[in-house]
Amino acid sequence: MGNMMYAYVTHPDTAPDIKNPPTFNPLLGFPNGRKERTIEATREELDRAAVPLDKRDYCVDFYLKYLRCREQAFPFVKSSCHHEWHEYDVCQYEDFVLRMKEYEREKRLKERAKRIEKRRKQKM
Amino acid sequence: MMNNEIENWNKDWKPGPYPKTPEERLAAAKKYGLRVEDYDVYPDDGLGYGDYPKLPYASGDYRSGYEDWDIPELKRNFGEPLHVMADCITEDKWDPNAKPRYSYLNMFLTTTGFVGALLIIYIVTLPYPWFQPAMPKQYPFNDLFLEKGGDPKEEKVVKHYTFERGTEDK
Repeated sequence: MGNMMYAYVTHPDTAPDIKNPPTFNPLLGFPNGRKERTIEATREELDRAAVPLDKRDYCVDFYLKYLRCREQAFPFVKSSCHHEWHEYDVCQYEDFVLRMKEYEREKRLKERAKRIEKRRKQKM
Repeated sequence: MMNNEIENWNKDWKPGPYPKTPEERLAAAKKYGLRVEDYDVYPDDGLGYGDYPKLPYASGDYRSGYEDWDIPELKRNFGEPLHVMADCITEDKWDPNAKPRYSYLNMFLTTTGFVGALLIIYIVTLPYPWFQPAMPKQYPFNDLFLEKGGDPKEEKVVKHYTFERGTEDK
């Protein structure tokens, strides 16, 4: 509810646009740069495994591991591949946490840009 | 019982023609076992019922449960003339004699007001949907540009970063 109040009532001007990617330079404020997100699987591997597009995210490595386990353990998938599925789940959770962090970063940078603009106008 | 009567319908069950003279009314009242003072008839406007008597509504709920009816299941006495809508006003169906605690207008306005209030809340809050405080999901291979049918010539490099500190020296 706090987000609704912030985005619709108190600060509609600095609320991030959740339908588009972040607008600021992603390296702003990171003097040593940021670690890039990568996946091990290649395009050909994903095509061969016929992974649907909505599963081709940054957790696709864990998903492929789960698929391999499922292939070997079938039909005892639930007991044998519990670990693989849990790892995939944790990855998805962390992916969402990262998205929330990006939201917070965008929000704070927007507020900062607003502060800087205000100070610039006062000086003029 | 009533269904049985309908299934075995024959022309003798059909009401007679609309009574025009006082003698005809007297004969019709006698036919249905009513006194002439009690006998009234539906108007002969094309939708009437011939000489069938126009009786007051007396629904199943309206009839006393303590009376010694000849047919207790239907709360009906032997030879009693049936209402034209007798099959609709049994105990399990419509009760035209009901005296509701609140008027029907009151009930209608209460229901409409409640549903209307929900509808108004829904319409007013349509432009303000609930959302999770998260940016769009990130995908590898430049946000799956080629996979989603993009033109290879227009592909732009999209880099995604974690929040871990990198090793670049600046």
